[in-house]
Amino acid sequence: MTKRITIDPITRIEGHLRIDVEVDGGSVQKAWASCTMWRGIETILKGRDAREGWVFAQRFCGVCTTVHAMASVRAVEDALQLEIPANAQYIRNLILIAHALHDHIVHFYHLSALDWVDITTIPVATPARAAAIADGVSSWPGNSHHELEAVQNKVKGLISSGQLGIFSHGYWGHPAMRLSPEMNLILFAHYLQALEFQRKACQVVGILGGKTPHIQNLAVGGVMNAINLNSLATMNMDRLGMLQSLLQDLVPFVQQVYFVDACLLAASYPDWFRYGRGVTNYLAVPDLPVDAKATKFDLPGGVVTNGNLASVRSINDWHDQPIRGAVAEDLTHAWYVGGVQPPWKGKTDPDYTDFHEDGKYSWVKAPRYDGAPMQVGPLSNVLVGYASGHPLTRKWSDLAFQRISAAQGGQLRIGDMQSTMGRYLARAIRSAMLSDLALKHWQLLSDNIVKGDDTTYNPPQFPQHEVVGVGMHEAPRGTLSHWVVVDKGTFSNYQAVVPTTWNASPRDEKGAPGPYESSLLGNRVADPEKPLEVLRTVHSFDPCMACACHTLDASGREIARVKVL
Amino acid sequence: MKRRNSPPTVGVVGLGNVLMGDDGLGPLTVEKLRCEYECGPNAEILDLGTPGLDLAPYLYGKDLVVIIDAVTADGKPGTVRTYRESDFHNSRVPLRLTGHDPGLPEALAQIRLVGRGPSEVVVVGVIPESCVFGGGISSTVLAASSHAVDNIIQVLRERGFDCRKRLDPELPNLWWLVDGTSADTRPARTVPAAHL
Repeated sequence: MTKRITIDPITRIEGHLRIDVEVDGGSVQKAWASCTMWRGIETILKGRDAREGWVFAQRFCGVCTTVHAMASVRAVEDALQLEIPANAQYIRNLILIAHALHDHIVHFYHLSALDWVDITTIPVATPARAAAIADGVSSWPGNSHHELEAVQNKVKGLISSGQLGIFSHGYWGHPAMRLSPEMNLILFAHYLQALEFQRKACQVVGILGGKTPHIQNLAVGGVMNAINLNSLATMNMDRLGMLQSLLQDLVPFVQQVYFVDACLLAASYPDWFRYGRGVTNYLAVPDLPVDAKATKFDLPGGVVTNGNLASVRSINDWHDQPIRGAVAEDLTHAWYVGGVQPPWKGKTDPDYTDFHEDGKYSWVKAPRYDGAPMQVGPLSNVLVGYASGHPLTRKWSDLAFQRISAAQGGQLRIGDMQSTMGRYLARAIRSAMLSDLALKHWQLLSDNIVKGDDTTYNPPQFPQHEVVGVGMHEAPRGTLSHWVVVDKGTFSNYQAVVPTTWNASPRDEKGAPGPYESSLLGNRVADPEKPLEVLRTVHSFDPCMACACHTLDASGREIARVKVL
Repeated sequence: MKRRNSPPTVGVVGLGNVLMGDDGLGPLTVEKLRCEYECGPNAEILDLGTPGLDLAPYLYGKDLVVIIDAVTADGKPGTVRTYRESDFHNSRVPLRLTGHDPGLPEALAQIRLVGRGPSEVVVVGVIPESCVFGGGISSTVLAASSHAVDNIIQVLRERGFDCRKRLDPELPNLWWLVDGTSADTRPARTVPAAHL
């Protein structure tokens, strides 16, 4: 018998993701992803000064602030063909890396670990055995018997008081939870430690950006950080030293804790390499330029089609012509007027119809690349990098495969990454890579400053005619692009094609589903009342719908529901 | 929770999206507060937007947290109310689909688990008139933000924070309320004082 499950968070934050699945014979047969809030964010930018678009763009979303600011200035610089100084590239890169590390750590530990970790088994764990397991795979000092025992006592206290608080919603005891009590203890101990380290990543953004979560140092043409080694008030040796020391604290946590934990989790749930494949076209844009002209990048870009890594087409830089012509947004199943639009000509005119699974059913547009849906995110990064022989991607991917293969006794290969677990693992691989690159770009910045280069800004000149540009950024959730039309210094059109638009896209005019939708097909669902398996796959994308409205609910009413029909 | 030998610290946090009409009340109020008052080195005044769970790093290590936000509650738009944390207690935290769903209670619970959470949280809430995209801010809520500033100052003073009215107040930078502009006629990003 077919059962329809609707997972629909309601109220409090009025922009949301709704997932509908039809389950038959214990697995998902059909799926729909819908965003239940109208964004229309681009309309606010029309007519504004192109130099200040980034200030508004970073308020699109409460979590992904910095990334929109960066894509916005890059879009205007692209339209003006304006080069920015090397120092500005490095300072922007360090902000982007720190932001991404913060985001990835929070996703793994605080937003999704508890889909896999059952904290209610922690009281029966043997801390000494847990410490031995952790010591066998990592040299991290926070894995001592004493430390783990303290965490166990904390959890015992929580459970015996009956006040599980934020943990009371977990699907504890669900048959899909399969970690040993010791593994649950290790991962939960790191959940707590991660709070301190994600904070250090925010501090890096704050030092460079002047303020966090909304950075203040950007400008079309570079950054506004003053560099003077002899001044107390500017970027100087003290400031560089603070940054270095924060990065030196942060990097070991990512590489010896997060990366190791993701490998442990993957080895413990090997069957999740078989679910959640979804759309197998992958897109990533190059990022972290290493020179002022942005001709060389530390993260490679490219397109992989039909899951075939040999098919990779490299995107070497932001001037790549094919991507500019290939991206269009399909509005067939989205609540907007219009058919298929290239972003520079894109319009955002609402046409709400209620939820019609065969008609319009989402506020998310359906971006397509040469007419095909694409998956974006850390997995696309890793697949594109691996396929194009990028040494840093190979180094960390191969290390992950060795660790997991050794732990589970099988042989994990790059092809297995096209799955729910692959997306979790790819995020950890990317974080380990970004950690190496954080130290590298700190060195590039400090060498360049010591060499005597203190330029950070090239002033923009706006022509008296219309120009178009696209600003690309490989954000934590994947490829982000802002498409702008600038007329005499003012935006005459603005479209943001964001990672979650690619991944949460509804069906298109050909009926082809988006990545969330197609990744759910075939997922097992043991208990329709507790669709944990659906959440695991959806969470593997790190969904982030346009947040926007934030009112606290003083009535304490129910704010999400699972409805089974 | 108080740490020995160090004076208590407070985070005054404005929440809300400035692009969503009256939802921008939180950032607006903390900007006015910052311009009108000097509250000393142990008071951090923060416009955090809509961070969800990303609130945690900013509340970490504070003794007192004062939050200013639009609230969904019964009452007339523009009503200012002060809530204690227990007023928001909600033991039924549901499943999460996106990173935005978790909010204040979750962030507080996390940092308290590691012993770095505040011992007291006060929420100064204002009932909004309209939270629509690009809607500016309603005159009702704009007027209420001054009462909200007074309430926050009262909360801080009652707890021993030395808040002094600035003799030469700055003009608040409410850049999001300025009309669209062209590059040729670039104004200062402030709202005329008559609007405040």
